[in-house]
Amino acid sequence: MSRPTEVADSSGRLVNLYAMAVRLYPQPFREAYGPSLRQAFRDALDDGSLSRRALIPLVLRDLASSLLKEHLSMLRDTFARPALIFNALVLAGLATVLALALNTIPQQVLRLGANDPQIALADDLVAKLEQGIAPADAVAPASIDIARSLTPFVIAYDDQGHPSASQARLDGAIPVPPSGVFDYVRQHGEDRLSWQPILGTTSNKDEKSALNGGMAPRGHGVRIAAVIQRVKLANGSSGGFVLAGRNMREVENREHLVGQLAALTWIAMLALIAAGTVVFGWYTRPGPAQAH
Amino acid sequence: MATGIAPAAPLTPAVFAILLSLAEGEKTGSPATGPGRWGGKHGYLIMKDARSPQGGGIQMGPGTLYGSLERMMRDGLVEESGVSDDERRRYYRLTTTGQSVLAAELSRLDAAVSSARSLGLIPQEGRS
Repeated sequence: MSRPTEVADSSGRLVNLYAMAVRLYPQPFREAYGPSLRQAFRDALDDGSLSRRALIPLVLRDLASSLLKEHLSMLRDTFARPALIFNALVLAGLATVLALALNTIPQQVLRLGANDPQIALADDLVAKLEQGIAPADAVAPASIDIARSLTPFVIAYDDQGHPSASQARLDGAIPVPPSGVFDYVRQHGEDRLSWQPILGTTSNKDEKSALNGGMAPRGHGVRIAAVIQRVKLANGSSGGFVLAGRNMREVENREHLVGQLAALTWIAMLALIAAGTVVFGWYTRPGPAQAH
Repeated sequence: MATGIAPAAPLTPAVFAILLSLAEGEKTGSPATGPGRWGGKHGYLIMKDARSPQGGGIQMGPGTLYGSLERMMRDGLVEESGVSDDERRRYYRLTTTGQSVLAAELSRLDAAVSSARSLGLIPQEGRS
């Protein structure tokens, strides 16, 4: 009779199939328990207390659930270690601080550098006015549309903040900063600010003040890098104010580019930290309890 | 896990069945529980015990068994007592912590059964 031989062959095939399935377990688990898993399956086949019709579905269900469980367990053991997570968080924090610095410092340098021509222009015009030259003579004739042109311009105002001579026009009118700016310059002698005479919104106090200055709001904003200085006449009385400004469009484009580069740097650093954490976590993963 | 401390949550059916099987082996000292020189039980015997009605009727395959044993060893509930000469069979036994945890779980289940019985959800002992 060939029946015992057929059963042995069948068992051998099942054991071989199971041995192949065992290879799907994570390596540390497989190395620790592979022979025992195969032996337990062999014992179950030999024992016969559970028919093959019942045993095989049971083992298939067990393989599906335990493979998932052991792989998840391995991932948790590998990557959910407090030291590993702490290191990754510290590095991510450093990367974030570095990216913020990469964003902020160049933007500040660009913004401060945007004032350089205006400082010189304001100084020169103030010097002329303080020598007693009339604003109309001191301000070189020009008609610069500050919404479009990037050319620096100067405007002279009297002590009440009314324009007395100007190279700049905005919608056909001479722009006037909010009165609070003149108050500040009256006390401190100079102010350097980003001024938005054309308004995208009207919620801001300064913007409302600018509206009072006679400028119509538009759907987009024009921002001016402005330097405002007080004119002090020789007799000590106030000779008004000088504003030197320049459209910040190009500076803002560069600031935007810096922001994008900083964001890309941040993402790249986080990706590098994540990859490094995965690699380091994998090579330092704990072995199974058997190995200890 | 310290000795004598009850588990924070109910044990999983697989863990409970393994603890019960190993405790049964130690209690009876049955020669069927494994080679006398080591004590304890090997994997298939534990699976077979768990499948029996007295062992909880848990249908457990080799993967679940050894995965559970791995975690139980980490938790200090069981320990390996030996390996067969061909290193295919590993034998396990309860630790003191494992005994305490099993006792606590049995006590919890006993209280639940007593409560269910007092509510008439299951027949009183001695009847039927």
